[in-house]
Amino acid sequence: MSKNLPKLTIINRLNVLRAERRLTQEQLAKDIGVTRATIVAIEGGGYNPSLELAFRIARYFNSDINSIFSVEEESR
Amino acid sequence: MKRVDSSLVKVFVCSLPVVLLCGLFSYLYNTGMVDRTTDVAQFCNAFAGFVYAAWMTLCIVFSIRLMVSGPFRDQLLSRVTFVQERDEREVMLTGKATKTTFLTTLAILLFLFCLSCFQVSVYRVPPEKALDGKTGVVSLGLNFKLLESTKQVGADADEFRNQDIFTYSGLPVSSTAIILGLLFWQVCSYNATMRRLTRRF
Repeated sequence: MSKNLPKLTIINRLNVLRAERRLTQEQLAKDIGVTRATIVAIEGGGYNPSLELAFRIARYFNSDINSIFSVEEESR
Repeated sequence: MKRVDSSLVKVFVCSLPVVLLCGLFSYLYNTGMVDRTTDVAQFCNAFAGFVYAAWMTLCIVFSIRLMVSGPFRDQLLSRVTFVQERDEREVMLTGKATKTTFLTTLAILLFLFCLSCFQVSVYRVPPEKALDGKTGVVSLGLNFKLLESTKQVGADADEFRNQDIFTYSGLPVSSTAIILGLLFWQVCSYNATMRRLTRRF
């Protein structure tokens, strides 16, 4: 990977959306076909989902992918 | 072929206790703890021989099937080595753990290759054979053989030696033990890396 490129951090509002709909991590995981550990990892920012999973999450919450996931440029 | 593979697994697993029992009997028979003169003992010994032959054949067929059949390998070895790929995150973690295991195994193999090739001897020669009055000799060598042979390399130097101080000529471990060690290493390294990665991601 190039060292000159700025580091992009992907942040998400998954825990907010989940809380709004009063969903448990287990329920959400089951509904979108992943394990609970994956939901924990996405919410904690430790794992960035694939495009397919990101779209699946967006479709599940009936919203736009940009309203759930956004990118921040890390200052160096 | 799927049915054959599943039958192979069942027969292999079910035959293990029988093979272990036969092994125990053979040990008792060979050490003389069982009366060898009785008909029953002789029959059991012959039966154990038959079981070994069948089991060895089964082992060879089993390992060849594992080598040539991708789905069978995935299905069986994944279960044995506790590989879990329930979603994309676990697939990614499996990839990272596999890479770590592959590279560390490669490093270990390189290290073992060096150890098996290098030969070091430190010895003293009689004063009449001394070079420039020096009787201590350090002999270094590389030994690579494609096929195993019983002849010792460097045996011609032995006639000059008077007193060995230190001699190292390859790994003192059998190839079977190394293979077994590598098998254990692969499974343990993969699982340890997977556990570490799961905590991080």
